[in-house]
Amino acid sequence: MRNTLRLENLRLLLLLSFVAAFFFLLFFIENLLISLVLAFVVYYILAPVVSWVERKGLGRGTSIFLIYTLNVLVVVLAFYLVIPLMVDQLALLEQELPELQSGFLNLVSRVEAKLQTTFHIGEPLFRDNLRNWMISQTTEYTSLIPKWISDSLTLLFLTPFLAFFMLRDASVFKRALLKVTPNRYFETVIKLLDDMNHQVGSFIRARFAEAMIVGLFTWVGLLVIGFPFAALLALFAALTNLIPYIGPVIGAIPAFIILFVNAEIMFGSLGLNVLALTFVYLVAHIVDAVFIIPIVVAKIVDLHPVTVVLVIILGAQVLGIVGMIISIPVASLLKLVFSSFYRQALR
Amino acid sequence: MIQNLWENILRRKNSESDIFHFLKKSFLFQDLGHQEIEFLSQLVHVRHYQSGEPIFRQGDSGVGMYLLVNGSVDIVMHDPAGEGSNELNGGIFITRLEKGDFFGELSLAEDPSYRSATAVCLTKSTLVGFFKPDLLQVVQRNPSTGNKIILRLAEILGRRLRETTDKVTELYTELEQLKTQAQGKKSEKHFTS
Repeated sequence: MRNTLRLENLRLLLLLSFVAAFFFLLFFIENLLISLVLAFVVYYILAPVVSWVERKGLGRGTSIFLIYTLNVLVVVLAFYLVIPLMVDQLALLEQELPELQSGFLNLVSRVEAKLQTTFHIGEPLFRDNLRNWMISQTTEYTSLIPKWISDSLTLLFLTPFLAFFMLRDASVFKRALLKVTPNRYFETVIKLLDDMNHQVGSFIRARFAEAMIVGLFTWVGLLVIGFPFAALLALFAALTNLIPYIGPVIGAIPAFIILFVNAEIMFGSLGLNVLALTFVYLVAHIVDAVFIIPIVVAKIVDLHPVTVVLVIILGAQVLGIVGMIISIPVASLLKLVFSSFYRQALR
Repeated sequence: MIQNLWENILRRKNSESDIFHFLKKSFLFQDLGHQEIEFLSQLVHVRHYQSGEPIFRQGDSGVGMYLLVNGSVDIVMHDPAGEGSNELNGGIFITRLEKGDFFGELSLAEDPSYRSATAVCLTKSTLVGFFKPDLLQVVQRNPSTGNKIILRLAEILGRRLRETTDKVTELYTELEQLKTQAQGKKSEKHFTS
């Protein structure tokens, strides 16, 4: 019996060392955390498709290879069809950026002047401060471009690489983890891993579908009202929608800045333009808030709204935007882990 | 310590081929072909237990079944209200399982599932665990293999149900007989007095 306990403790120590080493690597190797998060996204989106192909009688490896080949074709096609559009819009944006910037500053000074004459408040320093801030930000971001490119290339290589091994060897990793799990926690850990897998998978698939739908609705809406940079703005709205609560608002801000700066680019009066643009973003957000979140996302993540807000703030403090995006699934997983072991301890 | 570590964690005590042959002989997997057993042996979990070590306890949440590769396991039930009894010092002995037997299969079908008894290793034992997530994976990735396993599982559960029904009927008949006997004795006593 003493031997059993010693062995069990040794196994527990090994398990905890593995988990600690994993988190250490995750936080201290540059780009590994983001690559791993993205690889999980790819894994959970492709895993059902790979299983579907496997059901047709192909081996696991062949199925993954087939799906990867198909994805490469889709990406190439996307590059061929969408990228020129994006590049055109980016070039147009670059061309119009100084004008947009000065237009925005004029707008700010007009508001500032109005505030001064009406309420006799505020110093005309805000505009200069804002201009200086914009210039410094532009310089900072320009200097960061080479690092962004190198990071993106690393992610572009590392993400599919990690996702491939996740798809192929998920059960091997799971068995290796279970092998070092002490007997007394064995079934708890099996159940926990299954629950975690189910929860994370459903969450990622739901958020991915949500981002796609919001992006699509925004793109179509902007095209219908003839708004410029429709594809870029839709992509931005889709990505920022992943940030809970404030994401949809952040996603709409660039479009409104463009509208207020260049009111003449659209139809009718400024008020009508604001209404049309609000309608487009509102429809996309309503579809998301009324249909997708209650039906899909809320059922997956069982967290109190106050907890959600707190973990988002904590995520933003620790890891910035990435932290905000991954804070909810991480918090719900931690809740799952603690409640499982708490139940076990109570017994 | 090092020897223990080597035996239990690092060395493949039961080689893959041993597990393969064990699974092939098992009632639950006997319909599966060579490739299907190979696929399955990549999913199951080989566990080693010391003598006196519990595998699971009554009331634990159950995730799946165990097949006994070697050693022996006692199944014991405890009175939930009974204090101080645990898997090592008490309870009602139900059965002793030996090499080739399996137990806990109800957890593969139930949701949620709780263990109705405690399983304790009587001797140093090796078990193969087959759990609900593994079964679901088989069904998702290879439905025809999954169907074969589920049909066998249904057969086992059906057999267990029939055995339980027979036992309940037997006990009921016994109870009725005891009631009649008691009534007879009572009326006899009444008559003589």
